[in-house]
Amino acid sequence: MKHETKKISRIVDELTTLFLKQDTDEVDFKIKREPHQTTIKMIDYRTHFDDEYIDELRQQLSIVRQWEIEEYYWQLTGETDCDDELTLIGAMVDKAIVEKKDGNLYIELIRLHH
Amino acid sequence: MIITHNIQEKEVKKERILFILSVFPITFLIFALLMIKGQDGEPISLLKGLWKIISSPTILITDFLEVGGIAASFVNSALIGFLNLFLLKYYKMRINGLLIAAFMTVLGFSFFGKNIFNILPIYIGGYLYCYYQKVSMKEIILIIMFSTSMAPIVSEISFTTIFPKPYGLLIGILVGVLIGFIIVPLSSHMLRFHDGFNLYNIGFTSGIVGTVFTSILRSFKIDIKSVDILYLNKDISIVGLLAVMFVYLMLVGFFINKDVFKDYKKILKYKGRTVTDFTAQLGYGVTFFNMGFMGLLSLVYITAVNGTVNGPVLAGIFTVVGFSAFGKHPKNCFPIVFGVVLAGMLMHYDLSSTGLIISVLFSTTIAPIAGTYGIGVGVLAGMLHLALVTQIGYIHGGINLYNNGFAGGLVAGFLIPIIDAFKKGEM
Repeated sequence: MKHETKKISRIVDELTTLFLKQDTDEVDFKIKREPHQTTIKMIDYRTHFDDEYIDELRQQLSIVRQWEIEEYYWQLTGETDCDDELTLIGAMVDKAIVEKKDGNLYIELIRLHH
Repeated sequence: MIITHNIQEKEVKKERILFILSVFPITFLIFALLMIKGQDGEPISLLKGLWKIISSPTILITDFLEVGGIAASFVNSALIGFLNLFLLKYYKMRINGLLIAAFMTVLGFSFFGKNIFNILPIYIGGYLYCYYQKVSMKEIILIIMFSTSMAPIVSEISFTTIFPKPYGLLIGILVGVLIGFIIVPLSSHMLRFHDGFNLYNIGFTSGIVGTVFTSILRSFKIDIKSVDILYLNKDISIVGLLAVMFVYLMLVGFFINKDVFKDYKKILKYKGRTVTDFTAQLGYGVTFFNMGFMGLLSLVYITAVNGTVNGPVLAGIFTVVGFSAFGKHPKNCFPIVFGVVLAGMLMHYDLSSTGLIISVLFSTTIAPIAGTYGIGVGVLAGMLHLALVTQIGYIHGGINLYNNGFAGGLVAGFLIPIIDAFKKGEM
């Protein structure tokens, strides 16, 4: 797949911008690439996001994978800090787990290779 | 029942969405059959009208209603509509807001600029790109649908005396294939210039591509000049047809979501910046309702200024309706429209002229600027848009049908960094 590394970097960039700008001062992330998929794990420490926002975040990241949206718009991911591109990230990943535990926000995104 | 962001609506399968959309080309065909009659009382056969449309250079502004008559124009639009619906079904596309926008835009521009001949080489170019890059056509079909904005260059080279016959036809087709081949990487890259604040991104991309092609041709002393072929009769039957179609969309929205009147106000909180897919955010009910409502608002404006609904205006209306599934709503469009109208009055434009009406309709490409930065900046952006769109057509010689998308990209790319630079209090 073309620009695969850059697409993964931009997904992380977008979420890092969102968390640092709107929520917290401490963010961790881990990326694992395997032959059939890439997994991105992020921890947003001491989150201030309320349950309603987290639920909305979960819904936006969990929309179905949309290849045509990804091919056209992937370069917008992480491009600006005046707005978020959560729908776009949702269109670029196959599975999203979003949960709040012990005051931290945990996000796991799985992007299957095809 | 499914729940989309606290909105409950009936589950709508993609086949049903395709059927809802297919009502447009079906209705166009029926309308065309009812309208088979000549202009000024002289009968023109449908096939003759279609041939005139296909063999016209189609450069901006070539109104197919004037070139081939009303019936042939509606048949051309219906054929292109069916072709694109077939492709969406064939590639098993999930019909999201952007695909609805693409379908409506192509349908609208089939009244001025796109015909069943000049769009095909671009699709073939896209197919060759997929073969070369080993990707599925499913991934790029959306971009290819939009990139038919460059279709006039196929007709211009094929049906003028730039090259001797039959080489012109062959070169025209090859140029179309080349555009389909290169437009995918370009369109994605150009987004970064305006950060998604210009909804008609392919219009901006096509403006750049068109400028390059036109400059090359002009370097060889081959000049491409815009034309001004317009249908100027006020035809109440077309207005009536559109009104019925837009009420149909609103009723479809109501059928899918019984609480659509209550839920509709939720759409107004969206900035509209790319990617804002209303089908994913608010469901198909609110989306179709918004499309119909925006279509009716467009008709009300045109009627209020005593404008004519001709080919370019039809393109403008359908593009507004289409992008009302992907970012546009009354709140973020109004400041832009107000800015264009205000600038038009200051510059002494005739508000009822086709030129100003299509500028008003297409200017909503930069609605996300108003949605993000508010009414004041929106009005300013609208005024700036009119200043640019009336001057930049010469640069690409009219081979880019989405001239407003080109202007909108320039306005957004110029304004956004300045606004950001003067924003206070942010890290």
